[in-house]
Amino acid sequence: LCPQVHSLQELRRSASLATKVFVQRDYSDGTTCQFQTKFPPELESRIERQLFEETVKTLNGFYAEAEKIGGSSYLEGCLACATAYFIFLCMETHYEKVLKKISKYIQDQNEKIYAPRGLLLTDPLERGMRVIEISIYEDRCSSGSSSSGSSSSSSGGGGGGAGGRGP
Amino acid sequence: MPAASGKRFKPSKYVPVSAAAIFLVGATTLFFAFTCPGLSLYVSPIIPAYNAVVFLFVLANFSMATFMDPGIFPRAEEDEDKEDDFRAPLYKTVEIKGIQVRMKWCATCRFYRPPRCSHCSVCDNCVEVRSCRGLRSPPRGREPREHPLTVPHPRQEFDHHCPWVNNCIGRRNYRYFFLFLLSLTTHIMGVFGFGLLYVLYQVEELSGVRMAVTMVVMCVAGLFFIPVAGLTGFHVVLVARGRTTNEQVTGKFRGGVNPFTNGCCKNVSRVLCSSPAPRYLGRPKAEQTVLVRPPFLRPEVSDGQITVKIMDNGIQTELKRTKSKGSLEVTESQSADAEPPPPPKPDLSRYTGLRTHLTLATTEDSSLLGKDSPPTPTMYKYRPGYSSSSSSAALPHSTSAKLSRVNSLKEPNSICDSGHKPSYRSEPSLEPESFRSPTFGKSFHFDPLSSGSRSSSLKSAQGTGFEMGHLQSIRSEGTTSTSYKSLVNQTRNGSLSYDSLLTPSDSPDFESVQAGPEPEPPVGYTSPFLSARIAQQRETDLHGRFASAASPKHAAPREPSPVRYDNLSRHIVASIQEREKLLQQPPAPGREEDAGLADSGIQSTPGSSNAPRTSSSSDDSKRSPLGKNPLTRPALPRFGKPEPPPALRVRSLGSPDQPAAPHLGKSVSYSSQKTASQAGGPETEEVALQPLLAPKDEVQMRTAYSKSNGQPKSLGSAPPGPGPVPLSSPTRGGVKKVSGVGGTTYEISV
Repeated sequence: LCPQVHSLQELRRSASLATKVFVQRDYSDGTTCQFQTKFPPELESRIERQLFEETVKTLNGFYAEAEKIGGSSYLEGCLACATAYFIFLCMETHYEKVLKKISKYIQDQNEKIYAPRGLLLTDPLERGMRVIEISIYEDRCSSGSSSSGSSSSSSGGGGGGAGGRGP
Repeated sequence: MPAASGKRFKPSKYVPVSAAAIFLVGATTLFFAFTCPGLSLYVSPIIPAYNAVVFLFVLANFSMATFMDPGIFPRAEEDEDKEDDFRAPLYKTVEIKGIQVRMKWCATCRFYRPPRCSHCSVCDNCVEVRSCRGLRSPPRGREPREHPLTVPHPRQEFDHHCPWVNNCIGRRNYRYFFLFLLSLTTHIMGVFGFGLLYVLYQVEELSGVRMAVTMVVMCVAGLFFIPVAGLTGFHVVLVARGRTTNEQVTGKFRGGVNPFTNGCCKNVSRVLCSSPAPRYLGRPKAEQTVLVRPPFLRPEVSDGQITVKIMDNGIQTELKRTKSKGSLEVTESQSADAEPPPPPKPDLSRYTGLRTHLTLATTEDSSLLGKDSPPTPTMYKYRPGYSSSSSSAALPHSTSAKLSRVNSLKEPNSICDSGHKPSYRSEPSLEPESFRSPTFGKSFHFDPLSSGSRSSSLKSAQGTGFEMGHLQSIRSEGTTSTSYKSLVNQTRNGSLSYDSLLTPSDSPDFESVQAGPEPEPPVGYTSPFLSARIAQQRETDLHGRFASAASPKHAAPREPSPVRYDNLSRHIVASIQEREKLLQQPPAPGREEDAGLADSGIQSTPGSSNAPRTSSSSDDSKRSPLGKNPLTRPALPRFGKPEPPPALRVRSLGSPDQPAAPHLGKSVSYSSQKTASQAGGPETEEVALQPLLAPKDEVQMRTAYSKSNGQPKSLGSAPPGPGPVPLSSPTRGGVKKVSGVGGTTYEISV
């Protein structure tokens, strides 16, 4: 546990980036965008396996939906052709819509599940859809240097307080 | 300097696109100006309208093909490849629909190029004119990283670089390029046809300006029609086949199967009807609004997961037990002898020897350990498979996860180093610990902490299932769960020989127990160093906990131990065999098993093949060189027979290298198997602890290169090959296999 720290320092208790894990693409089904659901060993102690797999599976589902060739995408293509692609200035494509959903989902997951565990997901789009980058943070407060600093400050504060109360 | 040169204006590059634009727009304009009025007047007004629509279509597609980002990948960040940088193989194979496809490492972009991705040599993005394709050596300094577009970027589904549009054709703009070709062909045909109509039917006077212009336009159209139509036809075939120009021209799938095709109709629809893919560059950077603040939640750790892997403890205990039984004095003495520097006390030496081996195994340690005489290899560094790859190394237990977590805090190497030191120093303290509480246990884990529980379990088993117990421990100790399992599975001859050693009743139990942890790849397989260090830190704390945890754990499927089964088993088996022999003169089958086990566990070191029984001197000789080897040359394949093949020791490898090699190969490959999905091979590091075995015969320092799978260059495109060769190459990120006392082999990730 972190020793009792000065109030200001308490507020500044922060996490530092320890390492990053990269979940690679799963190419077993061609070049469609899928990510491996294999659980990285570095996350073993940080998050439940099931949560992670669920996240990746949901993302895979989103990407499959984005790349789906169906009626809507066909119509979109025809409309684009008919308007000489000017429609792209006004309307966003189906893929972009799904990407927005994905981005929201990732943020949601980060807020609810990953950040409380000291992890952070990065949208694969920022990495060219090659990897899902998971940043692992460590509690800086638990490291020796910070704790020693905080303990000295707390002891100083305690002494001052005792002196004041004396007389 | 590089930045400046990157932006040099090269006019020659714009010549084709300018010419194409001029011809297209100019000819069409002339057509509309001179031919269409007459046609619309005398034939039909639909003609110009139709031509206008087609021309508009051509222009739109031309613009999109020219100006659209073909699907440029952003450069990989520094963090992503820090493991790959120095040891990454040039190629990483990945299986796509059953077909192996190679992904090439791009030194400039610092990632393995996804399938169908390539650099464009002509685009302005490249800093240098020369191609980045496969370029591994352009000094980083030459590519300014600050300007994403001034450095080479790979394009996804790279088709080709089209000079006529002065742009790469890739995933995003291929459809526009294709439609441009189609529409241009249509447009050319229309212009030519209607011009011909105009001329042939002499809509207006023949010698007029209009006629002349029309004839010129027709000539231009006719001239361009042939190459354009040819190209169009070529691309129609490509789309139908689901190939890119790049693949077609380089003949990648000539005569072979294209893994990227989904059938003609699906290919066409994918090109034309799919939603346009997003661009990667130039996107607004998403603001990180989520704050990560401690305290952090941690997942629940079940008892079964807390087990720390202790390979040597069990063995040592076992040895002790055998000793106590009085039937395994030979083994004991052997183990004692096996230690490189003859220790004052056989037991301690045994442990120390193990430690030595253990520490030796780790790369970092090797240098460190070299100084110490009998380092007991209680912990070895395990470097969890990293990102990439493929790391399929899994930490089976939460504790190991904790250890790995600690690992993750620092660089794996550093962890090992730190791990080494403390573990090294603490060896003596650990020894008695482990010695005292030999928990052989189902969950044979490296952690000495669990030794307490193990000892209790061992003792309980003493009565009846001594053999079973220690055999079980041997099994569990063998290696990480998966590795062990694979050992069991693969080297049925060897590792499964333990079963034969066991009584029939035992075997099923053992098997069933084994089955439990087996499916899981070795998750939570942590660096031995960490476990050692943590173990010592929390020895007292955990003893009680483990003791309590051990019992439920034992009830549950045993976690595979990181200790390599075969090594451990070998010694133990050997000892058991000897005991049995003393009792009943059992035949050599046990030995066979032993050997098999040993083989699998032990790398090709000849030592491994030695049966514990063999003269202790051989052990010593084996061990010392072995002990030294890992220390001095961690990178070297431990397998490699550093020392002269021992005379005989138990077959263990009695059957000469040959059985050993396959075993080794198997053991090595199983790690790869586990991560078989990864082309490179498994990242699992098989940590085989053989602390006990160190003093015993072979110090089989095996560098498991299982870890090498994607990382070590040595693996290259080939999966880790079985046999001695792969063993030798492991260093690359690999795992060093160390054989410790008691025949356990553990692999220390380098």
